[in-house]
Order: sequence, then structure tokens, then C-alpha cells
Amino acid sequence: MPFIEITGLTKIYESDADRVEALRGVDLRVEEGAFLGVMGQSGSGKSTFLSILGGLAHPTAGKVSVDGIDLYALSGEKLADFRREYLGFVFQSFNLIPYLTALENVMLPLAVKKMPAAQKRAQALEVLERVGLGGRAAHLPSQLSGGEQERVAVARALVNRPPLLLADEPTGSLDTATSEEIMELLTRLNQEGQTIVMVTHNEENRRYFHRMVQLRDGLVVADESLRRVATSSAA
Amino acid sequence: MTLKTIALNNLRRRKARMAFLVIGLLVGIATVVTLVSLTEALTMETEHKLDQFGANILITPRSDDLAISYGGITVGDVAMQYEPIREADLPLIRTIPERRNIAAVAPKVLGAVRVGEQRVVLMGVDREVEFALKRWWVIDGRPVAADDELVAGSEVAAALDLRMGQQLEINGRTFTLVGLLQPTGAQDDRMLIGSLGMAQQLLGKQDNISLVEVAALCADCPVEEIVEQIAQVLPYTRVIAMQQVVKSRMHALDQFRLLSLSVAGVVVFIGALVVFVTMMGSVNERTREIGIFRALGFRRGHVVGLILLEAFIVSLVAGILGYLSGIGATRALLPFLATEHPHFEWSALLMGGSILLAVAVGALASLYPALHASRMDPTEALRAL
Repeated sequence: MPFIEITGLTKIYESDADRVEALRGVDLRVEEGAFLGVMGQSGSGKSTFLSILGGLAHPTAGKVSVDGIDLYALSGEKLADFRREYLGFVFQSFNLIPYLTALENVMLPLAVKKMPAAQKRAQALEVLERVGLGGRAAHLPSQLSGGEQERVAVARALVNRPPLLLADEPTGSLDTATSEEIMELLTRLNQEGQTIVMVTHNEENRRYFHRMVQLRDGLVVADESLRRVATSSAA
Repeated sequence: MTLKTIALNNLRRRKARMAFLVIGLLVGIATVVTLVSLTEALTMETEHKLDQFGANILITPRSDDLAISYGGITVGDVAMQYEPIREADLPLIRTIPERRNIAAVAPKVLGAVRVGEQRVVLMGVDREVEFALKRWWVIDGRPVAADDELVAGSEVAAALDLRMGQQLEINGRTFTLVGLLQPTGAQDDRMLIGSLGMAQQLLGKQDNISLVEVAALCADCPVEEIVEQIAQVLPYTRVIAMQQVVKSRMHALDQFRLLSLSVAGVVVFIGALVVFVTMMGSVNERTREIGIFRALGFRRGHVVGLILLEAFIVSLVAGILGYLSGIGATRALLPFLATEHPHFEWSALLMGGSILLAVAVGALASLYPALHASRMDPTEALRAL
């Protein structure tokens, strides 16, 4: 059974004057441990695709299941629980909370979890170490470079040990060298068993993916297998 | 890391906004505390005055057909057909079981005298007791200190064109006018006031008393019982509690209390509006942040909880500071408003109530902004995904 199964995914944005078909019947199956790149031009529907896969926007039609769970059969609060337990988000513009330190930002998904404070802290420190920022835990986002902020965002996405990591243009606002650092970090995580779906329009990034799906006008126009998925499943 | 950590950090970062919120609510709470505690202090002051100085029990001769003019006595040309109060019986008042609650016994004798061509009322009083009891009397000159001295009520003084130091001839005796009573709005304005013994002699009422005013400590004592006990020792008299005096003063205070509560209500409402507008602004400003929380798996309830927690912290601070400010304002204002007995009593109920009020107002005013925040579409909120 595929880890992610998407069937007939359709999303239509309607207003009084406009009707935009962002996704038009997308079908996709992704296996566990994959590093999937979703590419396409601006307006191709890739951000809408990630929003729906992340349980943030309801599709107009179609079905999305992750690890056998039908996302949109869940109630609003259960969907929030699903996001917390199953997903890690890395946003394009980092989206760190400016008044929390790097460590507190990483601990954010644990804020509403019932677990000892010491355990939350240890878990967050461990993941900060993993992304190479153990020494910057007490710094505010404004005291970190763009690359470091992106690493904090990745650490925050991983702190809950989610089975699926979703990344939206994680290198979009970084320079080339820092972008490569982040992509290498994501590759390393994937090699450790993390399933990753990443949206990007940067062709440079395709070399990191196992598989690349190309969207255009809400349809999958290309689906290429680039590398074999490692058999490790230590997500 | 809990919701509390996020709330505290956010409040620390937005110090100016927090200060604005606190001040908005603090002013309301301080106003409530000031008005409530001032009203309480003024009530105590009034009770104290009544206890210490004001007569609240009147003893008059029992009579069925007398028109009432001063405490049940009509004086002047009307013949007074009643059994007068015997002066020798007055010590009996101090023998009743509730005697410890009797602050003063002020006997009076009343009668008509002629001054020149005019007939006026002469009131003989116990000099020591009467002038202490009538604290509201304002005398130009001084109170009566000897048997040949008189104080004139304002209307008598005007009618007879009396001046301070003037000599008056009454029934062949000469008196010196040592004081002019400023208008009181009561019967006292139409009287000449002198010593009790002298008046008894002059009026031919030796050993008799026309009426007695009794000041009983009434704040927490049973006036009705005292009245009953005096009536038992003086069965031939009529003893009444001047409840109207007390009631009218208490009514005035009730009106003040009502006005205070209305003003406080308006100020608290304005405070609630300040909280509402500020929290709504804060929520709108934090749209993206709330979107992040939702994307990271915060339930709607968590978002509501976070906003309400911030409101709770702010309201708690505002409540405590508002209470302290209100008490400070009361202490500063009290000496100007309660000149006789500026006594402030610390009240745990007022402290708890004002803090609870602040928290309740803060929470209620923040409820809609909190619900609004929780209903935000995370995708819209983020605008990134």
C-alpha cells in the first residue's frame, strides 16, 4: 500500500467573477521513504497541491490519504491533530515566531502536547543538533542568518518525528550556497528514512529527488523516477 | 514550552500594546475601586456621625391632640395640655439594658416669651450636651456659657434686628446675645437658645422638660429595642426613633452609590472596548503567526486558549494594579470628602471582586477576537502554502 495515495484531486477557487481550476483530477501514489519533488511554474497548482496534502485546504473533489488515513474524512480538530502528529512543515519564508528563541521555535509543535518539559527540551535540542545549530539555541530568529533560520524551520518540522515532511520552496529565499546546504540537509534526512514532498520551481534541485512530478495548469504533465528509494524506513 | 510560554513571550515583546491594554482596564477597575471604597467610607462616616452626634430618638410628652411643630411640640399661643416630662426621671434613661449604646441625652424646655413687642420661642438646653450634639450648628460668636447668655436663631435675629453683644430684656431679666446661629433650615432658626435652668425658671416650668433628644449608637445597634426600653422606664412619654433622618441620609448615600456604580459601569465598559479593539487589532496583526500555529497542529481550542491566556495575564495585572491605584486614590481623596472620620477599611471582598471583575471583563472582551483567530483559514493566514 502506498504511503501517500491521491486520487482525482480537484480544487476549484470560485468567486463572483472568477473560476480558477487550480488542480484538475491529480492522481499520485508515493511510497514511504521517497523524496518527491513537485515542480512547476507559478500558477501551476503546486502550492495548492501541498496545502491539500498538508491538511490545510479542503479539496473540491478527490481523496487524499496518508499512511492509510483519509485526511478529509477527519473533523477539523482531528485534522489539526493529524498535522501535529504526521506532518512537518517547512515554509518558504521560514515563518519562525520572532519573539521565540531558536529552541522555543523548534519546541512549538510540542507546546500543546502533554509531555514533560525536560523531554520537550531534550527532543528539541537533539533535533537542533541534527541540523547543526546546537550552539544557536538561545538566539532569536533576528540574530540568525537566512540559512540558519531555514535550518531552525527544518528542525521545527522534525521535532515531532513526523512520518511526512512537506517543504514549500525551502530554498526560495536563500543564496546558492545556502540552498545547497539546505538541500543536502534534506537529502541526509531522507537517507535516514524521512519521506519528503518538496515543492520547488528551481530546476537545480531535481538532482536531489528520487522522483519528480511536473504540474502545469493543475494537471500532472510529467512524472519521472530519478533515483531508487533506499529501503531504510527509520522515519 | 507550553501555551503560557508563548503568551508570556508575546506580551513581553509587545510591551507598548500590553501597557495600553493594562491601562485601559486599569482605569476602569481603579474607578470602580475608588467609587466603591469612597462610598463605603462615606457610609461609615455618616454612620459614625449619627452614632456620635446625631440624635436619633425623640422623647416627647404623650398627647393625642397636639399639633406637631418641633419634635411633637407646638409652642406659642396654643395651650399645651399634656403631662410634661419630669427632669428627675431623666437618669432612668441611663438605666435601660442597652444603656451602653446611649451616647447623649439632651433635654429641652420650650416656651413662648416676649422680647419687646415680639413673641418668640425660648428653648432651654443642657449647654454641654446640646452644642456638642448639634455639630451642624454654625454659630457666629460662641455657644451659651452662662445662664445670662443667649444664642439667637437666624430668623429671630432678622425679625428682632439682633446684633452680637446686644442686651435683651425678657420677663424682667437681662441677657447678652453671645452668638447668632446661621440658618439651619429647621425650627432652631426661629428660637432663642439659652440655659436649661434659666429657661425653666423664666417659663415657670421648674423640674419639667418639654422634650428629650437621645443619641443612640445606631450603626449596628437595635434602635427599636432602645426605643422600647426607654418607653418602659418613661411610660407616660412617647418615644420615637427618628428613622427618617437616618433613612434620608442613607437614601442620599444609596443614590451616591447608584451614581458611583453607573459611572463605574460606563468606565469599565470603555475599558472592555479598549481591550476588545486592542485584542482584535492584535489578532489581525498576528494572522500569519496564527496560521503557523494552525499549520503546526494547534487546534482551534488551542488558539482560543492562547488568546484568552494572554487576556487573562493582562487582566490580572490590570486588576491588581487597578485595585492598588483605586485604593491609593481613595486614600488621597478621603480626607477631603470625609472630614470628621476619614476611616478606610481594607476589604478582601473588594480586592478579590475587583481582580475578578478585571479578569472577567478582559476575558469577555477577548472572547470574540479569540474565536475570530481560531476560525482563520490556515492557508489564508499563511499565504505561503
